[in-house]
Amino acid sequence: MSRFAHLKRSRQVWLIQGVIIIMGLLVAIAANFPSNANAAPERKEPQTNDSCLACHGQPGMSLKLESGEYLPLTIDPDHFSKSIHGKSEIGCVQCHAEITAFPHPNRTARSLRDVSLQFYTSCKGCHVEQYEKTLDSVHQRAIAGGNYKAAVCTDCHNPHSQTRITDPVTGEILPDARLHIPQTCARCHNAIYDKYKESVHGSVLTDEGNRDVPTCIDCHGVHNIPDPTTNAFRLSSPQICSKCHSNTEIMSKYGIPTDVVNTYVADFHGTTVTLFEKRSPDQVTNKPVCFDCHGIHNIKNPRDPQYGIAMKENLLLTCQRCHPNAKANFPDAWMSHYIPSREHFALVYYVNLFYKILIPTVIGGMLIFVISDSIRRIIEHRKGTTHK
Amino acid sequence: MSKSLRTYVRFALTQRVEHLAMLLSFTLLGITGLTQKYPTNDISEFLVNLFRGIENIRGIHHASAVILMLVTVYHLITTGYKIFVERRQMSILPSFQDIHNAWQAFLYNIGLSKSRPQMGRYSFEEKTEYWALVWGVIIMGLTGFLMWNPIASTQILPGEFIPAAKAAHGAEAVLAVLAIFVWHMYGVHLKRFNKAMWTGRLTEEEMLHEHPLELADIKAGITGRVLNPVTLRKRQMVFIPIAGILTVVMLAGIYGFVNGEKTAITTIPPQPSPIAIYVPQTPTPIPTVIPTVSVVAPDLLTWDSYISPLLQQKCSACHGTMAGLSFMSYADAIRGSTKGPVILPGDGINSKIYIVQSVGGQLGQLNADELAKLKEWIDLGAPEK
Repeated sequence: MSRFAHLKRSRQVWLIQGVIIIMGLLVAIAANFPSNANAAPERKEPQTNDSCLACHGQPGMSLKLESGEYLPLTIDPDHFSKSIHGKSEIGCVQCHAEITAFPHPNRTARSLRDVSLQFYTSCKGCHVEQYEKTLDSVHQRAIAGGNYKAAVCTDCHNPHSQTRITDPVTGEILPDARLHIPQTCARCHNAIYDKYKESVHGSVLTDEGNRDVPTCIDCHGVHNIPDPTTNAFRLSSPQICSKCHSNTEIMSKYGIPTDVVNTYVADFHGTTVTLFEKRSPDQVTNKPVCFDCHGIHNIKNPRDPQYGIAMKENLLLTCQRCHPNAKANFPDAWMSHYIPSREHFALVYYVNLFYKILIPTVIGGMLIFVISDSIRRIIEHRKGTTHK
Repeated sequence: MSKSLRTYVRFALTQRVEHLAMLLSFTLLGITGLTQKYPTNDISEFLVNLFRGIENIRGIHHASAVILMLVTVYHLITTGYKIFVERRQMSILPSFQDIHNAWQAFLYNIGLSKSRPQMGRYSFEEKTEYWALVWGVIIMGLTGFLMWNPIASTQILPGEFIPAAKAAHGAEAVLAVLAIFVWHMYGVHLKRFNKAMWTGRLTEEEMLHEHPLELADIKAGITGRVLNPVTLRKRQMVFIPIAGILTVVMLAGIYGFVNGEKTAITTIPPQPSPIAIYVPQTPTPIPTVIPTVSVVAPDLLTWDSYISPLLQQKCSACHGTMAGLSFMSYADAIRGSTKGPVILPGDGINSKIYIVQSVGGQLGQLNADELAKLKEWIDLGAPEK
């Protein structure tokens, strides 16, 4: 009896406390997070980060899941306070909205992957733009197709330790953050990362901290990452490369010509690809795009003695992938992005020069005769002395 | 009305058909070729859409090229017949007289000469056009071959010949199309609409104005002589086999031209990237937290020797300063929670700490061994020391 009375009393206390807290919380939410007011869960007791960290700040906390994996439950308070969420004083319960009291509700996640899959949608509450973009991504399509390994928000951005990655004013990615992008993707795409870090782009990013070179997202996009194996991606890929390679500001630093795209489009392969892309962007084509010859992630300096395709033997091997009967002279049929000059592809240069002289001479001569003849005939016609 | 109604044959039906075939192939070649030369131009874009893709444009270009090649073979053989069998005058050959005529025509046009030049069967304008076409067909044929068969060509020639051929092919096309617009359009359509290529005939008056020397020859009976049938047959017996062989050789040449090489046009499909896409890093960058090693149970079970370190490790994360229950000291532990004691010395099985831990699912969950030791300790009276 006395035990029940005790419980009843304590319930009343809780209830009063709860009402006060909810009202207080609603005021706080309305003041601080107007756009997320709808998403804010109800609270039964105060859930400050301090009260969460009182337990979860202790080292060594973990939970064994059904899969046998351990779910780490410790959040290093120092680490968290340095993160962008910590600095912005985001409450734990904004994401962990199901936790309203202690003991916490039972977890339904049976594996670490389940945990991520259950939680990542809570990012939507604040990052709705990015979240919606991801719905178009190759990763989300993979998940929809049953491949649960595909990345969700938290696989790339650890919400407890993620530091600021974009400039708050311009929204551009901070230079330092750029350096770490490939390592983020490498968590799942390590084989590709291994190729990338050896490439002309990746090596200078990792070794020299060069900020001009593309990271993964410069070509693949962020959040709404398209499937790079589609025909549409293939056909539009030259535009990806041309973003930087047509930019004189960047290219002049490295002495790389910016007419690489024009010279590509001017040749058979590039013409076809450009026209295909214009007419039906998802058309199947085996005409090479930039990465078919230069490599996808393992893009080398063309003058690299071992792999560079400015080396004729390497270029021949590249040509032979599509033209198996090609022999040693064949690679020169492609002008290697040169604009013909006296030094490079002189024959082509002189052919062009020849016609530059021949066409005006012939057509000009014809015009002179035709004009003189027509004037003469008009005069004769007026005089009435015409032949006819 | 002294005008004569007599007409003269200018072009035989076969020649007119030949002209029509060439006209069609040239026009298609020009349209589809310039589309390829200036692919990003708006008109080209319109044409690519009209023909439903650049591949069709190329297909039509190649088909038209074959027609033009066949017309060329036909022209060579029939011209050969006229020269070697009929022994006609090679009136289309250029001569110094043509240069003279052209110069005189120009002087007349600008008023420096009193009369137009008198011309024979083919005027210098017509000869210009004919030989320009011959030059064009040779250039386009050779450069077209190089582009159509780049792999075979580069077995003999330097690779540079292919882009050079492309440059020449495109520039020559511009020249040819412009020449047609300027020279041909003016010469036979604007100056006077000359229907001879369609009707095959010119009136006596037209002949008098344009080909007075030929008219004179015809009237004098120099041209249009009937050949002796016996001589004709003899010459045919020689010509026909030779022409037959040449025709076969040329047709085989065209066949080779068109079909000699496939991979320049239809390349083998691109190979899929051999690289594995999903290759997670090991070890996982977010390291799995392994629980700390269990406290080893001593022989003598007391708060100090075992229970305190055990509860410190497993429970004090929460039950240190908060959650209404503290295991920080022996006194705190025995006092229990805000709701009452959790340790009933001597009665392990009814102690709340044991009940809660037996249910499981606690964040600081004791394992079976530890739980047994805990119960044993409570049963022993929960000694401090």
